[in-house]
Amino acid sequence: MKAGVYMDHAVEMLNITKEFPGIKANDQVNLQLKKGEIHALLGENGAGKTTLMSILFGIYKADEGEIKVNGETVTIRNPNDANKLGIGMVHQHFKLVDRFTVLENIILGYEDTKNRVLVYEDAREKVKKLSEQYNLKVDPDAMVSDISVGHQQRVEILKMLYRDAEILILDEPTASLTPQEIDELMDILKKLAKEGKSILFISHKLKEIREIANRCTILRRGAYIDTVDVSKTTNEKLAEMMVGRKVDFSLPKEKAKPKDTVLSVKDFTVHDPVSKKEVVSNISFETKRGEILVIAGIEGNGQSELVYGITGLYGHSSGSLALNDEDITNEDIRSRSLKGISHIPEDRQKHGLVLEFPLEYNLILQSYHQEPFQRRGFLQFDVIRDHAERLIDRFDIRSGSGALSIARSMSGGNQQKAILGREIDRESDLLIAVQPTRGLDVGAIEFIHRELVNHRDNDKSVLIISYDLDEVFNLADRILVMYEGEKVGEFDPKEVSREELGLYMSGSKRSDSA
Amino acid sequence: MNWILNFIAKKPNSINVISSIVAIIMGLIFGLILMFIVNPGNALLGFWTILSGPFASTRDMGFMIFYSTPIILTGLSVAFAFRTGLFNIGATGQLTVGAFFGLYVGVHWTFLGPFHWLVAILAAAVGGGIWGGITGALKAYRNVNEVVSSIMLNYVSMYMVNLLILNTIYGGRSEALRPASTARLPVLFLDNIFPRSPINIGIFIALIVAAILHIILNYTTFGYELKSVGLSRDAAKYAGIKEKRSIVMSFLIAGAIAGIAGGVMYLVGDRTFRINEQLLEQGFTGIAIALLGLSSPIGVVLAGIFYGSILRGGDAAQRIFREEIIDIIIAVIIYFSALSLFTKQVISGYVRKKTKKDVDFAQKEGDVG
Amino acid sequence: MTAFINDLGFIFSYAIPVMIALMLVSLGGLFSERSGVINIALDGIMIMGGFIGALLVLYVGRPLGLPTQAMVLLALVGGAVVGTIFSAAHAFAAIHMNSNQIISATALNMFAPALAVFTARTVGGTERINIVDRYRLDIPLLADIPVLGTLFFERAFLSTFIGIAILIIVTFVFYKTRLGLRLRSVGENPQASESLGIDVYRMRYIGVMTSGFLAGLGGATYLISFDNRFNGDFLGLGFLALAILISGQWKPIRLFIFALIFAMLRVLANLHDSFEMLAAVDLPGQFYRLLPYLFTLIILAFFSKESQAPKALGQAYDQEKR
Repeated sequence: MKAGVYMDHAVEMLNITKEFPGIKANDQVNLQLKKGEIHALLGENGAGKTTLMSILFGIYKADEGEIKVNGETVTIRNPNDANKLGIGMVHQHFKLVDRFTVLENIILGYEDTKNRVLVYEDAREKVKKLSEQYNLKVDPDAMVSDISVGHQQRVEILKMLYRDAEILILDEPTASLTPQEIDELMDILKKLAKEGKSILFISHKLKEIREIANRCTILRRGAYIDTVDVSKTTNEKLAEMMVGRKVDFSLPKEKAKPKDTVLSVKDFTVHDPVSKKEVVSNISFETKRGEILVIAGIEGNGQSELVYGITGLYGHSSGSLALNDEDITNEDIRSRSLKGISHIPEDRQKHGLVLEFPLEYNLILQSYHQEPFQRRGFLQFDVIRDHAERLIDRFDIRSGSGALSIARSMSGGNQQKAILGREIDRESDLLIAVQPTRGLDVGAIEFIHRELVNHRDNDKSVLIISYDLDEVFNLADRILVMYEGEKVGEFDPKEVSREELGLYMSGSKRSDSA
Repeated sequence: MNWILNFIAKKPNSINVISSIVAIIMGLIFGLILMFIVNPGNALLGFWTILSGPFASTRDMGFMIFYSTPIILTGLSVAFAFRTGLFNIGATGQLTVGAFFGLYVGVHWTFLGPFHWLVAILAAAVGGGIWGGITGALKAYRNVNEVVSSIMLNYVSMYMVNLLILNTIYGGRSEALRPASTARLPVLFLDNIFPRSPINIGIFIALIVAAILHIILNYTTFGYELKSVGLSRDAAKYAGIKEKRSIVMSFLIAGAIAGIAGGVMYLVGDRTFRINEQLLEQGFTGIAIALLGLSSPIGVVLAGIFYGSILRGGDAAQRIFREEIIDIIIAVIIYFSALSLFTKQVISGYVRKKTKKDVDFAQKEGDVG
Repeated sequence: MTAFINDLGFIFSYAIPVMIALMLVSLGGLFSERSGVINIALDGIMIMGGFIGALLVLYVGRPLGLPTQAMVLLALVGGAVVGTIFSAAHAFAAIHMNSNQIISATALNMFAPALAVFTARTVGGTERINIVDRYRLDIPLLADIPVLGTLFFERAFLSTFIGIAILIIVTFVFYKTRLGLRLRSVGENPQASESLGIDVYRMRYIGVMTSGFLAGLGGATYLISFDNRFNGDFLGLGFLALAILISGQWKPIRLFIFALIFAMLRVLANLHDSFEMLAAVDLPGQFYRLLPYLFTLIILAFFSKESQAPKALGQAYDQEKR
């Protein structure tokens, strides 16, 4: 191996493997970042991109593999080591102290002092210089909580540059930016690369990758797929590598016979209660009896918030909801639930179960207040027990002590089956399931998919949010794609390819009718 | 030793009971050590007196039960709040207000005849309930931390009740009037069993309340709701439960129970309510008892009786030692209960090493801390 | 007019010591909470500090025949040191053991007075420790300034000046030093701090033990300057200090103002019949005693909704969850 070849690479990650309990997040992954290059890391949810970057930044340690920086093999045990090697990272969720000023955030941990007193003059100078050099406009004395997201991101970038980072990692940097801010960021990144910085950025948005990346590495389900020259690769090819061509096991199911509308969503808009940002924008769609509608898309495009808005966990800002032609826009959670909505939540441990309750109590979480589970305020234990046994049997819910097992002690798969069983058994007109098979093994996945189809065949409406295209194609009778809070396309699964869907999911395409 | 370890590995919840027992034993040992430091010659005798004193005679047992009763009730109040995820450090204030309501009825509503005492107790419950409800409402609707607010309310209640007593039921010499004889808790047959002791049916009231709480928590939908809000606010919200209302209800009930404790303490012939400059300690002891009793009504009753027995034993040992020793023992027990999580971790770490099993110490529902 | 000034000076001479004590404990709470750890044990620590201070005066200072102000210093330092030690226990439980911070603090609160009273009775024969009011001094020169001199420099306490000095030092450290910046960052966003190489655990220990130091100091101050008889508890002053912290929205200067207000209210309770105006209205003493707490409650009801608490307050920091 010629020494010269290695000097071109700022970073090399070779044969990186990282396993977490039950899942291989990175499997023999290779990544090579050239000096002065902008290198994109592309992949769906669960592809392993964030894990790989976390390893580079010292948050995780790889099980196998080697990392080289500027040609030398290194060990990175924590972010400090990474910093010393000139590596900086801007995370998807910013690590800023809201109540401090921009300047304070930039210097935190790297402060200048004179006689024990903090001095800011030198820092201010340096920040000003960097700011001008790279076009990173910031107001050093503004409070972080008061500034825009784009401004905050510039602060994060300055944090890295202030510490003389040469290798910059950005994780989904455009996730919360306005289109204008995105343009500004693109310019900034180009400038940084021109000045010799090497940039790695994680994204699922083809438009942006195409705009600034020189090369792109694609990961899928933990495996390394390829590294390509962006200018020489079509969007279609990129999308195909991201989502894969093969259609896996297909679930034998009858053709859907959709009937009347169950849920009607009109011009629905939701704002995040904390950040106040608009996360669901004017969405309209309908779900029908006897049909499975799957909303596809990359996580973080408003799907969770849409479901929270429909079920009532979040308030909404405008628009209307109707269930079986009855307006439920202003009903509370229980009322909506009783009127016919079942919800298998995204966060099963937070919302779906009371972990310290035994299984049989969790199985009546939505219905404990109804007869026959209670009479005159008293719980009817035999009814509750029978109900639990029935569900355990029907849904094959396994646990240490049967109906009495404390939910916390059950495996993730069985917890999910319990929630699923509970919600399906209620025979609601609308069943909403978010990521119903996340983290489950193949057997459990098949089982749950089958149950969802059965529910549909019982003349009910099923709405699924999924970030896994296999699942989308297996289950859907109709597909809806969400991107940045909006509906960008609606499809018949038989008439759309994975690659095409990938294009919509990554914002490269949108239907005019959406 | 091995069978203990295997026992623990098989029944993880036994850890909680073992921690309580360990806590008590450590407290007692510490007390013994203190006794040795202060008066080595009499230490063992003193220690033995404390342990055996309450059982020396039926009269002693009567005293023991009499001492336990208010503590059982405040313990129940705190324990109930714990089970619903809340910290009721305001039991003392609720007790004070309850005591006033009870005494007021006890002194002035003599027209009630034979049911006088019952109405007085109910009044005490109402007083305590209202007081607790304030804490609950402040937390649910104004996001005020319940520890700070209820401590403030403790002091407000003390002075406010002092004022009220001075103006409505003052008996002179810094004491309130005694309740009318019809308002005093009946003794029934109890002084036949426990002669020459101040025992009364208060203990039955306490046991009934314990039973009611046990039923509510374990058998009713209401209890189901309160527990879920305490264990997982998010899941409760998902299930359509109104968390704010639950919080207020929990404090109302906990307050009412503490109020009853106040009623039970003062609707008697042998105790008068003094104008206070210090908070009544029964509220704080109740916290210790709730922790020791693992927040379960039955456990609290047992822990309360234990406390009563230590107090009576302390009476007996007063010929030899000072009463602050008792206070120290109790305080140490509390401290170790608080570190029970620590003890649990230490024990589980030890067990894990010895039996090489990963024991899942899934906390029993509602166990706080 | 001079009579009014004299009256005011009279109130001040009583209120200021209370305010200083309250403020010190509150500043202690500030340090702890700003680093992310709730410290409800301040009341117990305050008691320990006061108690040890008293013990030192009685059994060390007097026998040694130390000059008055030296005894004051002895008490203050002793209180502060004890406070630091006691808070270490809470720190350990809260930071390393991740135990429920409120419960372990409550335990400490119950333990401290019990231990104090016990030792007092054992050592002194009675639980009441009397330290005669001999600690006031008149500052030469400054006391002669018209108006201000009477208000602030006659019959003053050494502890008052120490307290003010500490307020200044604390504010300075908090906002102007590296330590202060890092401490605050740890209470707001420990993940961010960790990612920048700051040791979260170390910062939090510093925060909690400083709070113990200040609370112990505050307790000793209170004993020396206000309530010379030690009865076993300070009437919830430690908790009042916490309430001041919340009302002051965790900022040192606001803390100072609220401490002053509460101190005035507290003092009114004892002295209201010395003032013609108030004596005329003839509200009972109990009412005045009630006032500070009621006032606190009302303030809390208003201020807690949009709380400016440190973001990571009360959350155990788990290094695994980065």
